Formats: sequence, structure tokens, C-alpha cells
Amino acid sequence: MTLRLQVLALTALLCACTKQKEETPPSGAPAPASAQQEAKKPLPVGLVIDVGGRGDHSFNDAALRGLELWAAGKRYEGGKYVDATPDDVRKSLPGHLSSIAATLQPLPIQPVVLQSKAQEDYIPNLQLLVDRGAQLTIGNGYMLANAVRTSAQENPQARFLLIDSQVLDAQGKTLRLPNVRTVLFKEHEGSFLVGALAGLVTKTNKVGFVGGIEVPLIQRFEVGYRAGVKTTKPEAAQALMSVYTGSFNDMAAGKQVAQDLIAKGADVIFHAAGSDGIGVIQAVKEARATGKNVYAIGVDSDQSHVAPEAILTSMLKHTDLVVYQAAKDLVDGKFTATELLLGLKENAVAMAEVRVDFPGKAEALQKVEALRQRVISGQLQVPSVPADLATFQAAAP
Amino acid sequence: MLEILHRLLFATLDAAPALVFAALGAVLSERAGVVAVGVEGMMRVGAFCAAVAALVMPTPAAVGIGMLAGAALAAVHGFLCIRWRSDQVVSGIALNLVALAGGTFLLETHFGPNGTPPIQQLQPLHWPELASVPLLGALSGHAAPTYLALLLPLLLQGMLTRTPLGLRLRAVGDKPHAVATLGLSVPALRWGAVLGGGLLAGLGGAVLSTTVLDRFEQHTPAGLGFMALAAMVFGRWTPLGAFAAAAFFAFGNALRIGLASSAPGLLDVVPQGVLLALPYLLTLLVLTFQGQRNSTPASLGVPYEQESR
Repeated sequence: MTLRLQVLALTALLCACTKQKEETPPSGAPAPASAQQEAKKPLPVGLVIDVGGRGDHSFNDAALRGLELWAAGKRYEGGKYVDATPDDVRKSLPGHLSSIAATLQPLPIQPVVLQSKAQEDYIPNLQLLVDRGAQLTIGNGYMLANAVRTSAQENPQARFLLIDSQVLDAQGKTLRLPNVRTVLFKEHEGSFLVGALAGLVTKTNKVGFVGGIEVPLIQRFEVGYRAGVKTTKPEAAQALMSVYTGSFNDMAAGKQVAQDLIAKGADVIFHAAGSDGIGVIQAVKEARATGKNVYAIGVDSDQSHVAPEAILTSMLKHTDLVVYQAAKDLVDGKFTATELLLGLKENAVAMAEVRVDFPGKAEALQKVEALRQRVISGQLQVPSVPADLATFQAAAP
Repeated sequence: MLEILHRLLFATLDAAPALVFAALGAVLSERAGVVAVGVEGMMRVGAFCAAVAALVMPTPAAVGIGMLAGAALAAVHGFLCIRWRSDQVVSGIALNLVALAGGTFLLETHFGPNGTPPIQQLQPLHWPELASVPLLGALSGHAAPTYLALLLPLLLQGMLTRTPLGLRLRAVGDKPHAVATLGLSVPALRWGAVLGGGLLAGLGGAVLSTTVLDRFEQHTPAGLGFMALAAMVFGRWTPLGAFAAAAFFAFGNALRIGLASSAPGLLDVVPQGVLLALPYLLTLLVLTFQGQRNSTPASLGVPYEQESR
């Protein structure tokens, strides 16, 4: 109780301070003028990341990469920004995107990133960015959906990008706001591919899934994964073990869950659990050290660098590209409030390069590629909700 | 069946130590009358310092550094609460906030947000002669902290209930003026308990970054310190009780995870949310049968003033 009061008082103080600051200096007030006129001065672009925080090697880091490294051409080092080299940018690009490397030019923007330590931080953080003159404010994660709705309604002159959710009203109905662009990903399509690979790789015919909090978003990962396993190894799909940790920031929980799955014979484990997933990867790494041939599949960003020998592949979700595109549209004065739905076809989700070696690798990758083509061409509809899973049938590649 | 029990036991023993140490630290401090809300912060400091120290020295020594770091933060708490008689809850919360923000700041400025570089973990110890015995075999294959976590509650319980020092520590938490009339220093005893509690909480944190993970990760300890406080209350402020409660929490968690993975069909009947709440439901259930005896130290949270009555 005392803590809550303190936090409230602090927040109120902070808001009061920033408001005052905005009123006094004449230059501070952000006029919703055409973005191009101010192009000489870097445009402030705000980003609020969810409680998973910076350094989750995953979802938040992908958005940060899009904003800081790609759009602003900066690297975050030792608590401040340094200029990034073109080489840094090239290294951060996965193989299937190398063709767009030339188009990723640094934009005249200034990133302003706020981390959220608790759910109560979202609205104050968004407001703080708007007050500081952010021309575009990005809410990274479905947890920010309500906060973005509130802020967007209170600040009609400000522009927002909401990732992983549509704007929902109090009744849960989709709401369209004239100043919010929303992005949804077809995570099930990307998860389908890694699931297909997991089915081809497993030797024990047991694969696992570790989710964070069980919400429709994370279920899409699970359902797609299940569908993929079912396509390449139906018997493993029957016995697929799926456990949710109930959080996105408790790596100890992730590790415990993964240890349990490994003890029960799983040899490929896909996680969609934010920072908990670091614990999953840790458990796989430790199991490999004792001689077990198990793999983890990373999520959102290419997580191969966390444990190169233990990561089979990663299900990439290119929030980085979406963030970059929004910043570019802003700079070009073309930012519009649209509702995007992006999948394999748009290259917005993908399977990361497979860097480990296993018997039959080339053949397995061919099969996965064939499946990818079928999804892109529309021959194959990947289910996204558990109810559709039972009836899903796809011919093995 | 035996196989399942074995796995549950193994997972419990693997996950419990950090919670056990922190709960013991809280018990020690609170039995002497000083509120231990700052356990979470002490764990975080311990975890951070142990991981950083392990970059340059052998991991067991680094765990010692982590303990000292926990004690250092406890010393701040002691200074505020014993020397200046400030509000113990506020001081503890302030320390938690400082540790949370300070840990993130130091991590990002020195190592980047992705956590410290990996360190040498504490290696699991194997007891081949035990491993073949059913159930007891679950004792084999853990790192050193697990065995310490089994031993320490007994030692601490013995100390608190069977030695003059233990009697005095308990008395300081219940009736400090009575201790003072015997010519003993109340502040000195409380200082000892607070620093000891800090050492233990630091150890709990160090276990997280050297055994559970092989680095300091920015969310550590993710609320475990508050679970430790719950274990302390649940265990009625006794070391053995706190140990049992901590082990019970860990067991409940292992049970939930095991249920979800070994009975996939169960999830069609029982929603995940119910399973996630299982450890807490079990706790509620046990609390219902626990009765109502009040075992809070009588002077808990009351600053000691020589002149007052």
C-alpha cells in the first residue's frame, strides 16, 4: 500500500515537472506541423517497451533494433548512444533480408526509449513521451493496448504505433483511432515452419512448447507449432507437451519448466516466453553439457548467439522492420493510421537460419521451404486458434 | 509412480535453495525484531555482485562476495533502523527500489542490457552410491547450495532454540528491555541478526546467478524475496518452519509444471490459470488447517529506545 502511494506520488511529481518544462521554453512545444519541415532537426520518436525490458534477446530487442540501430543508426552502449557502422547494421540482418540492406538508410530521428517496470507505468510513460514532443510513439506489446488507447484519445495530435494488438474499447471490440497504426503478426505461420522442422529433427518423437502468459497471442505460437509438428510427424504431435510459465520475466521459472520437459524426453523445445525463454535455453544448454542431444528454438529475434550449439533455429518476428517502416513513413510525411496484418508472405515472420548441424539437415530444410511456399501461395491455411487444430490436415512435404 | 515422485523431488531440491536461504535470512532478522522487507533487494545485490565477482575469481569465492554484498545492503538497513530508529518497512522498501534501479543501471553501463557475460557455474555433485536407491537418488546431482539448504535450517534452529545466543536473539525480538536489564546490548544483538540475515539473503541471490543461471539477468530475483517473506510467515518465524514452507512452495511449483507436461489431456479439463494458481491454492489450504496461534515476534518493527517502557 505504502509502495503504491509512493509510486503514485512520484509519478504525479514527474508529470508535473515535465508539464511545466513544456510550458516555459518556447521551442519545446511540439506543433503537429508537417514532419518534413522539421527534418533538419532529428525527430524524436518514442518507444515504450513492456515489462520484459531491454535485453530480453527477443521481442523488445527486436523493436529496439528497428528503432535504434536501423532507423536512427545508433547503438546503445554503456547507457548512451554511439553511432553504428554500416557493418553493425549488416550483421543484424538475417539472411533472407540481406536484399533490403541497401534500403535501410539511417533516418533523421532521435530515439527516446522508456522501460516499464510495472504495468502501471505504461500510461505515464506514453504521456511522458508525448509531452517530450515525440512525433511518433511506439507501444511495444499487447500489454500496452489499453494504455495506447487512453493516450491516443487524450492526445489526438500525437501519433502512435501499437504492436501486437489492435485498439480495443472497454468491451473488447476493435476500435479505429485516426492517429494509431496497429500491427498484428501471423505468428502461427512462422511457428508452423519451426514446428515442421522440430518434427523432422526429433529423435524421441517428443517435442515441447513453453509459453509465457496464456493469451491468444501466445496461443497462436503454440497452435502454429502444433500444426507444424502434426504435418511432419503426426505421432509427435499427439504427445506434444505444452506448459505455460505464467510470466515473461522469470527465467528461473522458464528453466524449471524446460528441465521438466527434458526429463520427460523432449528433445526439441520451442519457447514463446520472453525472458523466461532465456531460462529455457539455459536448461537446454545444461542438458547438452550432460550429453543429451536436445535443442531449443528461439523466438522473435535470432537467439542463436545466446547458446550457439543449443539453438536449432528461431521463429523471427520482424517488429524491427515494422518499426523502421513507421519511422520512415513519419519522416517522409506518409504516416497513416492503418491496421496491418503481416505474415510469411510479407516476410514479417520467418524461420531463422539453421546454424547447427544434424543428420539429414539439407533434406529437412528443403521440406520446410516447400511448406513455406505452400503457405505463401495460399494452398495451406495454418490454423491460429486451438479450435481449428483438430480439423487441420496437411499433406507431408 | 516412483519415477514421478523422484522427478518431483529432484525438481524441488533443485529450485528451493535460493528461496530457503532468503527465508532463513528473513527469519533471523525478524526474530531479533527488525522487519526484513528488504530481502528482495539484498538478493538482487547478492546476485549481481556474485556474477560480477565470478568473472575474475573462482565461483565459490564469488558466492562469498555475493553474501558480503547482501550483508552490506543489510548494514544500511541496520544503520537506518537500529542507529536512527527509522521506520523499518519504509527503509526496506527503499532498499528494494535502490537495488532494483541500481542493479539495472550498473548492468547497462558496464555490461549492456543483455546481462553479464556467462560465468563458470557451480557444478552439480553426484553421489553414485545414492543414485541407485529409489527416491533417495533424487538427492544426487545437485550443486552444493542444495545440500547447504538442507543443513542450514537445522543448524539455525538449534542455534535459536538451544543456545544462550539464540535465547537472547529471540528475547531481543520479543522484549528488548528485558535483555537490556541483563546488561546485554540490544543494538549489538540486533546488528548481528540483521547482518546475518543479509549474508543469507545475499547467498540466496548468489545462488540464482551462479547455479540457476550462469549470469546476472536483469530481472533477478523476480519477486523471490517476497516469496521468502511469505515462507517466513507461513513457517511461523522458525527456521525449520520457513524451510518447510519454502520447500512446500517449490514443491507446489514443481507439481504444477509436472502436471501440465505429463498429463496433456488434463489441460482440456482444467484451465492453465488454475494450474498456475495451484501453489497458492495449496498454501491457502494449508493455512486453513494451521490454526491461529500468533507467532509474530512481539517487538517486531518497534525501534528500541532505552528510555521508553
